[in-house]
Amino acid sequence: MARSPVMRATLAIPRRPPPIRARGSVLLAILGLGVWAFLALDLTWAQVIPTAAGLRQIGEFFSYALRPALSYQPGEVPDGSPSLLVQALLSARLTLIFAVTAMSLSVVIGGVLGFLGSTAWWSGDASGSRTAIGRYARRTVAPAIYATTRVVITLMRSVHELIWAVLFLAALGLNDLSAVIAIAIPFGGTLAKIFSEMIDEAPRDAADALRGAGASGAQVFCLGLLPRALPDMSAYALYRLECALRSSAILGFFGWETLGYFVKQEWENADYDQVWTYLYTLLLLVVLVEWWSSGLRRRFVA
Amino acid sequence: MPKSAAFDLDDVSVHFGNGPALHKVSLSIAPGEAVAFVGPSGAGKTTLLRLLNATLRPAGGCAAVDGRCLGEHTSAELRAVRARIGFVHQDLSLVPNLRVVQNVVAGRLGRMGLFASLRAMALPSHAEAERVHAILERVGIGEKLYERTDTLSGGQQQRVAIARALYQEPTAILADEPVSSVDPARARDTVALLTRISREEGLTLCMSIHNLELAREFFPRVVGLRRGQVMIDAAFADIDDAQFNKLYELTDNELLADGA
Repeated sequence: MARSPVMRATLAIPRRPPPIRARGSVLLAILGLGVWAFLALDLTWAQVIPTAAGLRQIGEFFSYALRPALSYQPGEVPDGSPSLLVQALLSARLTLIFAVTAMSLSVVIGGVLGFLGSTAWWSGDASGSRTAIGRYARRTVAPAIYATTRVVITLMRSVHELIWAVLFLAALGLNDLSAVIAIAIPFGGTLAKIFSEMIDEAPRDAADALRGAGASGAQVFCLGLLPRALPDMSAYALYRLECALRSSAILGFFGWETLGYFVKQEWENADYDQVWTYLYTLLLLVVLVEWWSSGLRRRFVA
Repeated sequence: MPKSAAFDLDDVSVHFGNGPALHKVSLSIAPGEAVAFVGPSGAGKTTLLRLLNATLRPAGGCAAVDGRCLGEHTSAELRAVRARIGFVHQDLSLVPNLRVVQNVVAGRLGRMGLFASLRAMALPSHAEAERVHAILERVGIGEKLYERTDTLSGGQQQRVAIARALYQEPTAILADEPVSSVDPARARDTVALLTRISREEGLTLCMSIHNLELAREFFPRVVGLRRGQVMIDAAFADIDDAQFNKLYELTDNELLADGA
């Protein structure tokens, strides 16, 4: 009995792991970094208390939350101008059009770069390439394309859409195309990053089965792998549409007549009741799109 | 193109990262034969099936399908070989969010161009739908043609996987533990279905299977694997329980090893 290796193995009690190991020390370091950041900013409690004037302005602003303007003051705008509510709807329409155009462009950019930036299209089947050219393409060219794409994706999304907007304002002037491209570049980069990860994380069992049935690499990717990633990819693209709406509204700060343009203008005029009109319009727009997209997700993605 | 495939392994070895998965295996399977692969987990049954499906390349020896070693094929020829061998995977390997008809049509990708296959998957023609339906009828789920695959029960999904293999118009069917993905009551049906269809069509059938009673009932020939080597290759009738017990007997080292 004592000679049985099985018995010997169960007698030895495994050693207790030390209480703080690698993960613990990383957490502690991150916590320390957070404390240091606070101290570096030299924050004081006095800064938290608003000035009397600031408090008055904020109070006045919020006092209009329950009574947003439904029309302009008499004489505020020239005769023949659209009414306030029509103006709000027109700017909401432009906000939506910018967002939808930019997202359509982003989905194309994200789709192409997301494919090139995934490992699935080149790292899969080693037995596929039997010629010297095939092996060279797989071992050298494909990884180079992949790495270049990852760098491009990172550059695109590490610059915020507002900074892209500044650049394109300077280059192209205040036209609609510069607004759309300013949103489409970082959004395309973000979609590409997430799409590539979704493609790489999709289960590969069906893809392997199709390869086993003689399917080519392109067939395996398009019909075995992509269909498994598509539901998540669509759901994420719909979520990004909501983000694009907010970005499109904010681009108004630079002069495009989206909702942000009027929010900024009326804030500067201290017409807080009209600021609320536009804020509520933005809220309504976001809620409507969210309601529509969650309906789509429920029906098609779940 | 012969109606059923012949497999000939001569001194075949396969290596994975941590040692040999198959070691100097020699095995001949005649056209139309039905063979059960048995043996403990990790013995190399799945590796052997993948080798027969031409998705693994041997490190040594010759693995021949219809008399020609796989190492001599170009990648296009390899795809042509794979296209005629149906494989029923243990985990079924279907695309759950596609319709049944699309999963079955996918069986014939190996003989279609990219655009033709995209068209067939998106919009199966009337003739394709009829062929798929006929095969689904044969495996007993004809009414599920246009259902989404993940709405089917596990047993029905297995039928879809079998239908996909049959849609390949294969010369051989390889099945990896088809019994393990369904409950015991369905297991016998599944083995019966695969052996019956293979017999009727004259297809070569190789199945890895843990259940010795089922294997004995449906297969004339058994190949017993252990640690990547063929320990038994005989008619079922000639093998007694002692020999099977020896095949599955664990050494002390195997008991101690994690998940061996």
